[in-house]
Amino acid sequence: MDCKQATEMMVARLDGHLDDGSTVLLEAHIGACCSCQAEWRSLQRLDDLLTTAPMVRSPVRLRVQVMTRLQRREQARRAIVGSTTLALGTITLMLLLLAPVLLDLLRMVGIAPTLLSAGPETVVQLLALMRTMGRALLVLLETFVTPLAALSLCSLALALALSRLWTGAVSRLRTES
Amino acid sequence: MGPGGVIRVITETEWIQQARSGDHVAFGRLVQAYQTPVYNLTYRMLGNAAEAEEAAQEAFLRAYTHLRSYDPQRPFRSWLMAIASHYCIDQLRRRRLTWLSFEDEIAVPENPVEGGLVQLASDLPNPESVVTQQERAVQIQTLLSTLSPVDRAAVTLLYWYDYSYEEIAETLDLTVSAVKSRLYRARRDLAKLLEEDGENGLQTSD
Ligand SMILES: [Zn+2]
Repeated sequence: MDCKQATEMMVARLDGHLDDGSTVLLEAHIGACCSCQAEWRSLQRLDDLLTTAPMVRSPVRLRVQVMTRLQRREQARRAIVGSTTLALGTITLMLLLLAPVLLDLLRMVGIAPTLLSAGPETVVQLLALMRTMGRALLVLLETFVTPLAALSLCSLALALALSRLWTGAVSRLRTES
Repeated sequence: MGPGGVIRVITETEWIQQARSGDHVAFGRLVQAYQTPVYNLTYRMLGNAAEAEEAAQEAFLRAYTHLRSYDPQRPFRSWLMAIASHYCIDQLRRRRLTWLSFEDEIAVPENPVEGGLVQLASDLPNPESVVTQQERAVQIQTLLSTLSPVDRAAVTLLYWYDYSYEEIAETLDLTVSAVKSRLYRARRDLAKLLEEDGENGLQTSD
């Protein structure tokens, strides 16, 4: 056994992985080799130092800190989801509002027949709009306390009211013409 | 495992389930149950209270985010320890890049006043033994700070968490033989350092 092997065995012994036969061999080497004797002593000293060291206790405030950060993060996430949904909803709404005008424009260009025959698609579009609005409302209700959400809700209500007026006006114009 | 252990596992499984479905209170219970093991790890790894606290928070937040990927077959504690270990290893690597020129300053650890030593003080009426305890604590952190991030994690998991080589390997994404040789080299080097600095403890560069 050379000294490097001996050191490997010493470490294995500290961890309780050395069988009896090898332990006898190791002890024989340590007894005969001065440098390994010193090494074994210092390894034991290190092992003792680390084994007896207690766990450092966490500060009590850690739980509250984690909870606070968690809440803040969720709020930020909700605000992002909320505003994205709102933006998408608004875009859909705008498209719908512009739809009559777009139709006229397209009719002038000459591709109106293809669009006019797409009756079901308009229904699909409307359903998608309703779903998006529903989601936006849910998310907004969750973050209801923040003034941002209240503001968004107001603008949403305004947008809805305007859209109703606008579609009403457009349909009246249509029936008149 | 005694009946207390079984009850603990059952309630813990419930907490994990509830936390998974977004229950902050349940997650708070998990934080409470594991804050000391997590904090001790981040403290041993990073060597100062402020960074350890920040890292422990971050580890818990990451655990919450990735709770869906947690495999209930595995002990929750092991999973949590793996998250905390990897976070600290990343932090230490980043620190090394940022503070390359200030290595001497960061090599000096502070006393873990917040930790178990205050508690120990009541068991030890002799103020001198308290001082010795604190000196030993500084000595340990100074020794740990000489190790590479991964070795530091391996030594910490071995000594404070009674991990087997296999558990350390799993936690740190290493092979068992790599863990064995790392732990061998690390302790050989630490023992040498300890010996060089004699019975009076390590001298920290002030
Ligand atoms: Zn020898």
